[in-house]
Amino acid sequence: MTANTASELPLEQTVSPTDELTVAALIGEAHKSGTPVYPIGGGTSLDYGPQPARPGIRLSMNQMNRVLDHPADDLTITVEAGMTLAQLNRHLATKRQWLPIDAPESVRATVGGIVATNACGPRRYSHGTIGDYLLGIRAIDGCGEAYAGGGRVVKNAAGYNLPRLMVGSLGTLGVITQATFMVRPLPTHSALVICDLPSFQQAECLLAALGQSRTTPMIVELLAGPALPFCPLPALPDTAASRLAVGFEGSAADVQGMANVLCDEWQALGADGLTTITRARVDSAWNWLSESPAMLQINVLPSRLVGVMEQVAWLMAASPLQAHAGNGVLRIYRPSPPAPLPSTDEGSFANLVQNTLRPIVTAAGGHLTVLATPTGVELSPAEIWGPPRPGAALMRSIQQRFDPAGILNPGRYTL
Amino acid sequence: MSNTELIRKLRAALKPENVLSVPSELVVYDCDAFTVERHIPLAVVFPRSAVQVAEVVRACSDHGCPVVARGAGTGLAGGCTPPPNGVVIVLTRMNKILDIRLRDAMALVEPGVLNLQLTNALSGTGYHFAPDPSSQGTATIGGNVATNAGGPHTLKYGVTVNHVAGLEVVLGDGSILQFGPVEDPAALDLARVVCGSEGTLAIVTKIWAKLTKNPQACRTIRATFASIDDASQAVSQIIAAGIVPAALELMDRGILDAVEAAFALGVPPEAAAVLIIELDGPEAGLDSLLEQVIALCRNWNPGEVLQAKTPAERELLWKCRKMAVGAVGRLSPGYMIQDGVVPRTRLPHIFRRILEIAAKHRVRIVNVAHAGDGNVHPILLLDERDRDLTARAKAASREVLEECITCGGSITAEHGVGIEKIELMEKLFAPADLRAMHRVRQAFDPASQLNPGKKYKTICQ
Ligand SMILES: Cc1cc2nc3c(=O)[nH]c(=O)nc-3n(C[C@H](O)[C@H](O)[C@H](O)COP(=O)(O)OP(=O)(O)OC[C@H]3O[C@@H](n4cnc5c(N)ncnc54)[C@H](O)[C@@H]3O)c2cc1C
Repeated sequence: MTANTASELPLEQTVSPTDELTVAALIGEAHKSGTPVYPIGGGTSLDYGPQPARPGIRLSMNQMNRVLDHPADDLTITVEAGMTLAQLNRHLATKRQWLPIDAPESVRATVGGIVATNACGPRRYSHGTIGDYLLGIRAIDGCGEAYAGGGRVVKNAAGYNLPRLMVGSLGTLGVITQATFMVRPLPTHSALVICDLPSFQQAECLLAALGQSRTTPMIVELLAGPALPFCPLPALPDTAASRLAVGFEGSAADVQGMANVLCDEWQALGADGLTTITRARVDSAWNWLSESPAMLQINVLPSRLVGVMEQVAWLMAASPLQAHAGNGVLRIYRPSPPAPLPSTDEGSFANLVQNTLRPIVTAAGGHLTVLATPTGVELSPAEIWGPPRPGAALMRSIQQRFDPAGILNPGRYTL
Repeated sequence: MSNTELIRKLRAALKPENVLSVPSELVVYDCDAFTVERHIPLAVVFPRSAVQVAEVVRACSDHGCPVVARGAGTGLAGGCTPPPNGVVIVLTRMNKILDIRLRDAMALVEPGVLNLQLTNALSGTGYHFAPDPSSQGTATIGGNVATNAGGPHTLKYGVTVNHVAGLEVVLGDGSILQFGPVEDPAALDLARVVCGSEGTLAIVTKIWAKLTKNPQACRTIRATFASIDDASQAVSQIIAAGIVPAALELMDRGILDAVEAAFALGVPPEAAAVLIIELDGPEAGLDSLLEQVIALCRNWNPGEVLQAKTPAERELLWKCRKMAVGAVGRLSPGYMIQDGVVPRTRLPHIFRRILEIAAKHRVRIVNVAHAGDGNVHPILLLDERDRDLTARAKAASREVLEECITCGGSITAEHGVGIEKIELMEKLFAPADLRAMHRVRQAFDPASQLNPGKKYKTICQ
């Protein structure tokens, strides 16, 4: 890379380097000339955040997708950041291992992008999120310098936890080039127990009871509204307000045993119409529950989830709703089948977010995030994420030290 | 402002009985459980609230003297050793469990709450706080957070950082911030960055601790081996087979001697090493998993494999393991415990090297290990009055940790760097890595008010 002025850099173009040195050189040059760099993983989250304010270089990581080291007997793996979650899990499956997290669109979503956005799915209930597996990272800072944090062992207290700092940092602290993960043995069996519920109160009652259940669920999902497209499950009957889906993974004996115990527990609480799904159908159901990209996300404490969800279900009746209920995460999808959002015209999407939804979420002590701004709509950072947080000054100070020229994703993400 | 003035100011802020400034009272706070280096602090204070912590931090900052947070002082790396002219902020009087919310699987506690105090408060609820350091009866949860403490069961359940949902902290400028407990997509995950920062980024004044449901059932066995090599081969094989037990601990003959003398565990004298293996989860699959584990052990000629048949037998096993380090007092007047970590396949190698290094430096080393994590705790026996022996023990420690680095591991898995391992940070990390850490530190604490001189050498900028 010899270019040293903005005009010689590939502005408004997508570059796809194949190694870290090239990434570092490119960012180094961009730093000198103050040219923005917009890192792209699988491109699954490009509608997240405001659109780029200034022209810059689109830095695609998708050519950096190699496995660098997989000492399978140590249950760890180091990969380049542009590898997709699906590729990673295909590779791990050859050793009967996996990274037990899920993220929407796993065929496109890269591990670097998942780290940067902290994307997650139903399995977070039992397995946690990507940060729980991230042992080490390498990244290029806003000056073009490579740095590493963590390491390749499963427990490490040396240095600050830079891997955790990268989780959810939205590419503002550096372009992630490598990640080391702890992996787990692949479970052999799974099952899903489904219960349709006449009211949200009943959902809360079963969710609260799960805390004392003799089973160990892997996922705890609460669904409401119309089904997402391609639903492999029977449709929610008109008489039901919501559907609870609890999943198990493990050996055949564990899974069958726990599904039976849970059905007994729920029946004792008065639930009826229980369905247990096993074998091939379970895989398609689990994929369906983890793969769809949502439009809005609400984070609250688990105990506040059902109350918020009931209000949202009433306000946005055309939108499929899915909650990782055990974690207090509610995901709101685009209306399905396509339909106008409540209070229809385009400009009012901001109105829906700011004046209708955010007050409900704030009253419940949570956060509302717009994950994908609808086409043609422009939102301010405050509309996307809500008001600046009390720690914002500290976060900005960290960001400025990693990217003094402010060239990493400028305007797209504000901390 | 003179020191007297600062002390007057602290007394006014905290009431006189919460401020120590007499040398005879201060010596108690000149070190933590890493006793090789000591400094008498300028003063020791016992705040009762975050607001008081903030007042102390501001007063000290005006006075130009640094502060160091201290929990129970059981840290093994010198994280609490007072910096020159430093004030020690002891958090043990902030020791209330403020809230237990089972519906959210969360407890809100003050930093001085003891790890075991929370576990006891949870008894009968079906939940527990998963991090279980051997020091859980004395160490504070604030200290656990600051060191990112682990324990036997962190193999399956993860270390402290995996069990923190949120923190309230006081920064070096005296401001009070809250991170979490609700996950926030618009924020950096600073609660988890503070975990393991050894009091250098912020002082923790509240913790939202995640609670873990008790496992439905468990099986605990102990297996003896003719050599530490055989035992560690068995560990590597269990992990390689894709089995993640709840705990997988190793003790060698040296430490067993101390344990036998203290608790009469009844391990046959010819056994050179013992593994304690615990499996937990749903009842249905446990016995077949146990059979697999025992079969893997059988590849390495175990002497005996005994299963704990009653809760009391299981408790004895864990008591012996958790009190093992304390029992070392029976072997020598002092000791230094190391905390290296290697990839699990390198365990047999690191134990061989530990033996060689002990012989080379003429130091007796006994071993406990969170073997399933690749985390070794060689304990070097010494007598602080014997300067030569102490120097040899330090040299041997260093060589063991350097070997861990060579193996692709790290110099500390759970005890932290403190001052003890600070020299090795430059061996483990490249200058750019240390600069990246320093950016974080400067953003949190630009005036170097909090525990300076710990974690890594700050001259690297
Ligand atoms: C016999 C024995 C066995 C042990 N076994 C284990 C084990 O199995 N696993 C393990 O991980 N550790 C173990 N340890 C080490 C030690 O107990 C842990 O590091 C523990 O977490 C320290 O807690 P503490 O309250 O004693 O902290 P302290 O020793 O008081 O402090 C440790 C560090 O944390 C900082 N700190 C303390 N409180 C705060 C706060 N509120 N805010 C910010 N910073 C703070 C201090 O500045 C210092 O750097 C053992 C120690 C002993 C003596």
